[in-house]
Amino acid sequence: MNKMNKMINSILLVDDEDLFHLVFEDACSILDITLSLEALNSSDEADKKFSEWFPDDPNHERPECVFVDLNIIGSSFDGIELIRKINTDYGNGCVIGIISSSDDNQEIEKAKAAGAQFWLVKSDDIEPRLEQFRNDYDGYLDKSNPFKVYK
Amino acid sequence: MGINKVCRDDLLKLANEKRIYLEGNILKVISANDGDSEFIEYLNICKNKDKDSRIKRLSVTKQVQAQNKELVAKQRENDALMEELQTALEEAKNAEWEADKLREEAEKGKDKALEDLELMQKKTQFELIGQIVKVALWVILGVGIITTLLFAFTLVTGKENPILESTWSNLFGILLTNSFSIIGTIMGVKYATEKNE
Repeated sequence: MNKMNKMINSILLVDDEDLFHLVFEDACSILDITLSLEALNSSDEADKKFSEWFPDDPNHERPECVFVDLNIIGSSFDGIELIRKINTDYGNGCVIGIISSSDDNQEIEKAKAAGAQFWLVKSDDIEPRLEQFRNDYDGYLDKSNPFKVYK
Repeated sequence: MGINKVCRDDLLKLANEKRIYLEGNILKVISANDGDSEFIEYLNICKNKDKDSRIKRLSVTKQVQAQNKELVAKQRENDALMEELQTALEEAKNAEWEADKLREEAEKGKDKALEDLELMQKKTQFELIGQIVKVALWVILGVGIITTLLFAFTLVTGKENPILESTWSNLFGILLTNSFSIIGTIMGVKYATEKNE
């Protein structure tokens, strides 16, 4: 039961790559990270959902944690802009960060400035980073953890 | 989350008779009653099966993802090569066009040089002909004058010489005939040359 308490209530993944949705879902399930995972393909779609979730009721069905890809092909804006919108336009109510194959320092700084709490580098071996993230999660939830890059 | 006995029994029956097991995240919220070792074992089997299949799927998905990445990289490489090839083709076309242009210019130069050479040859030929004609005229004139002087001398001195008389008349006859013949030839050559040009 203790392990279950550590699970993240709900995760939203915004990534244009369908295959990565499967990888992320399986990795989360194997590592018991969450029981509820929703995946979206575009930042526009995510933006629309957040604009519906937040204005009237801040405790609406918004996810507890959001993973956003940096470059989302087929979207009007990138992951950093989505984070800025979620944090500033709709109100900061969730743990949010970037999940990307890039580890470009400039982009990382931009994400940090937009309000991202973490940067997780995507690679073939994503499970150890997700596990580290899960261990640090409580600190992100109560905003006590500083920005961290999981390489 | 606990489940009632009917449901529990049905699930165990399904597993025993048809080897159908529960799968997915629902397994993480279902719990067995304390002491129900049979259902605890069932849930463990389900969880292990689910985990195994997820690990297998994750591995396959990762492989596909890696292959996709490789394909995308190769596609990019191919695109770059195609672009290089296209550029090389365009450059080759341009070079061919330049070469054609240069060849045309060279051919034009060659034609002009040939024309100049021909003109020079004609000029030389005309000059040579002119000189020959001049020399011939001087020779003819000289012979005519000498013969006429000799003939005049025989007439003045009264020493008639039949050979000299016939030679003088023959010479003038021949000169007259040949003059027309030479003029005709020269005019003919000139006309023919002008027509060719």
